[in-house]
Amino acid sequence: MKSTRSLIAYLQVAPLFVVLFLFFIVPLALVVVVSFYRYQVMVGLVPDFTLKNYVEILTSATVWKLYFSTVKFTVTVLVITGVLGFWISYFLVFHIRNLLTAIGLFLVCTVPFWTSNIIRMISWRPVLGKEGLINSALLDLGVVDQPVQWLLFSDFAVVVAYVHLYTLFMIVPIFNAMARIEPALLEAATDGGASRWGVVWNVVLPLSKTGIALGAVFVVTLVMGDFFVVTVMSGGLSGSATSGIFNDLKFLNYPRAAASAVILLIIVLLIATAIFRLVDVRKELAR
Amino acid sequence: MLDTVAGNTGKAATQGNGEIRLVNLTKTFGQTQAVKSINLTIPHGSYCCLIGPSGCGKTTILRMIAGHETPTSGEITIGGQPVAGLPPVRRGTALMFQSYALFPHLTVRENVGFNLKMRGEGKAERDRRVEEMLAIVHMSAFAERVPAQLSGGQQQRVALARALITKPRVLLLDEPLSALDEFLRLRMRGELKRLQVQLGITFVHVTHTQPEAIALADTVVVMNQGSIEQAAPPVAVYAQPRSPYVARFMGGQNVVKGKVRAIDGDAALLDGPEGSRLRVPLAGRKLSPGEEVYVAIRRDKIVLKRGGDAVEGGENTARGVVETIEYQGIYFKVTLAPLAGEEFIATEPEATFFAHPIKAGEKVVATWQTDAVRLLEVDRGAAGGVQPYSEDAT
Amino acid sequence: MAEKSYGKRPWTFYVLAALFTAFVIFLYAPMIVVYILSFQGPTGGLVFPLRGVSLHWFDALFGQARTGDVGGAFSRSLPLALIVLLVTVLISVTAGFAFRRRFLGSGLIFYVAVASLIVPGLVLSIGILVTLKFLDLPARWFTSGLGAHLSWTLPFGLLIMFAVLGRFNPAYEEAAYDLGANKWQSLRHVIIPILFPGIIAVALFGFTLSYDEFPRSWLAVGSKNTLPIEIWTMTTNVTSPALYALGTVTTVISFTAIAIALGSIAYIQRRRSRRG
Repeated sequence: MKSTRSLIAYLQVAPLFVVLFLFFIVPLALVVVVSFYRYQVMVGLVPDFTLKNYVEILTSATVWKLYFSTVKFTVTVLVITGVLGFWISYFLVFHIRNLLTAIGLFLVCTVPFWTSNIIRMISWRPVLGKEGLINSALLDLGVVDQPVQWLLFSDFAVVVAYVHLYTLFMIVPIFNAMARIEPALLEAATDGGASRWGVVWNVVLPLSKTGIALGAVFVVTLVMGDFFVVTVMSGGLSGSATSGIFNDLKFLNYPRAAASAVILLIIVLLIATAIFRLVDVRKELAR
Repeated sequence: MLDTVAGNTGKAATQGNGEIRLVNLTKTFGQTQAVKSINLTIPHGSYCCLIGPSGCGKTTILRMIAGHETPTSGEITIGGQPVAGLPPVRRGTALMFQSYALFPHLTVRENVGFNLKMRGEGKAERDRRVEEMLAIVHMSAFAERVPAQLSGGQQQRVALARALITKPRVLLLDEPLSALDEFLRLRMRGELKRLQVQLGITFVHVTHTQPEAIALADTVVVMNQGSIEQAAPPVAVYAQPRSPYVARFMGGQNVVKGKVRAIDGDAALLDGPEGSRLRVPLAGRKLSPGEEVYVAIRRDKIVLKRGGDAVEGGENTARGVVETIEYQGIYFKVTLAPLAGEEFIATEPEATFFAHPIKAGEKVVATWQTDAVRLLEVDRGAAGGVQPYSEDAT
Repeated sequence: MAEKSYGKRPWTFYVLAALFTAFVIFLYAPMIVVYILSFQGPTGGLVFPLRGVSLHWFDALFGQARTGDVGGAFSRSLPLALIVLLVTVLISVTAGFAFRRRFLGSGLIFYVAVASLIVPGLVLSIGILVTLKFLDLPARWFTSGLGAHLSWTLPFGLLIMFAVLGRFNPAYEEAAYDLGANKWQSLRHVIIPILFPGIIAVALFGFTLSYDEFPRSWLAVGSKNTLPIEIWTMTTNVTSPALYALGTVTTVISFTAIAIALGSIAYIQRRRSRRG
């Protein structure tokens, strides 16, 4: 019976929808609502409809500077993780001959994902710090006679941490996309006279497009929405788009925090949709 | 041991009557009619092959008999019992899937005993019946293996055992031999026939391979775009095809179009392609001059006159140029250039060929007796009377 | 049978292999540094050299109140992760089945799920906080915290189920039906066993994603911290290797979960390909 089949499907998907409704749709909706409220010191939230919060944020030079800084980070990290993700996936899919070995090595890359991000992040401190591993090695080897300052608590450290944490989000979708490329296609390209680089450029890269796009969306949202990595690893020197939110929350200025959050969300969603327009996501994910 | 499967000595009686009747059976998928009002009776205990190209509806019919597809309209009765709405086990059918669909997480023993477990049989009884079944298909040594460890032929035998343990009155086979290599396919063909005769139950076997169908079946059902072109014993389908589609699809015949010039007693005189003249027995058909008809000429009854003998003759001859020659062991298959767009092939015994070999490009004259040609009726499966392409026939 | 010869490897192989090795070192070296440093002697500091080897800092973790409420955080994060695991498996698996056929609204729900993945955790955390304020309810780790975690794990679970069900041959279900199994028997004896490795993967994601979740939990768990939040506060307060000891302990737990999950999957696959 077609109608009972539909009914069963609705019942099966209901719990998912309920949870997502309660803990995703409603919270987001309320964030948007609150962003139009007023904040009065000592009183708190005042239900109202004002664009004051948005105006304040969008006309603040600091905010634009922070966004610029975040975008800088995002692009840098995107490029590095993209290149790394592509070549590591390529290596695993096309150079490892034994399937089991390839899966094993893939798991080796994935396992850190299942451990605490924060721990992984702070584990860079004893490595990059003034008295850390790298500086000690450099001093011992005589390469430098003073510890290198900019390894930790700098933009460099932030990028290193982002790459460390988020390359995996590039590797997994790209690996997936590459693994589905029929090996016969590569042989056909070689047969047709393509050099090895030509095969990569003309066959592998186009067919991995969806994976790269997915990875890019993940990296963009993670970097732009992050606040703890950038705060810790830059020692508070660099801010990000989320710094403002952080501050407002500390002072209980929920409306402005909400407005910042909405702006951040819109920007992230715009970028995501732009990337998604390049690929058909549903086909890729719901294979 | 087969008795226990059959349930009694001799032909199956306790499994009940396995006669299948399809009455005005139709199946529509969205906009397409996959099966167009089929009427067919498959006698109890017979071997029936449904044959046709992809998309002709044969698998859909099989699945409707099995209960995996619901008819859009029409009736199916098995053993006189209408089976609409009944699950496969209650119909007395069992399906052997094209991919075998052996449960990968179960051993051979657990696979074969699956139906018994679902029915709630106790372990001892299950093991006993499974042992019996495995012995019948010669897979006893593999009871503890998992499907991944079996070859294609072995998997098929397990799939067979799994289906037969349900004591069906009808066994349905969905292209059972397609996945096997040639040698195994021929061997399993024989085993399937032997099994069917010994079990005495109805087999319905879907295939797209003509030699297979005419080797195995008591009834061959040739399908064309959802309709039955011809349902008859193999000899009839091969030697006396009803329509151009059947003639082309089953091989063995050249289809030629002609226009009636005159009627001469019990024969018709036709103007064929490229100026040839054909004399064909009327066999009770009524034709009038000017009508266009199709005829079939037996490929193995054509004599090719070559060299000096290649003189244009009278009736039932056709000029041709040799295109390709294929050696097939017992005979040579000589393909001539198409006659008015239709394939024209003659097969001759190797002795004949070697007596006077011919090469591609040679001019020959094909001749045949009047009894080698017969009139054909119109295709049933054609949409709006348009004749299907000859390339569709393999 | 002669060994198949693939020929010599091209030079690109070595370059990429070197890159891969460097990447793996890049991934694991800092963690290993933390593990080693967690065994720092009592007088040692946050960096090398190791002044003696001891379990001093592990004691410090669970002992003094100075290093925060680690024990308490564990007592919340672990049970929470297990609950999230269970709920994620139940909801994702059933939802995955719903998506086997297109139904009205399936596209919408799919995009909502993907959106839930993409939205920055911080934004969602604020949202949940605000929602609680509106409803005048308190934030608790086992209610709002649980919901926050689910908003992150359910989409992952759903995507995994898509991958798993996409590879599932529908002929198995038909064969079961053909052999007399009803819907429940089919589910119990055929579908779930075949899908089981995929379900284990969903469980693994459910557990680890919840156990390590930070941005979404931050404002949604209430006053009693989960472990990641506790670690976060410790990074600013604690200036001793106790933090590293905590890192080691929590990573061991994660590794155990991973080992159990991957081990089970490997075991099942082996049983299905080589038996008898």
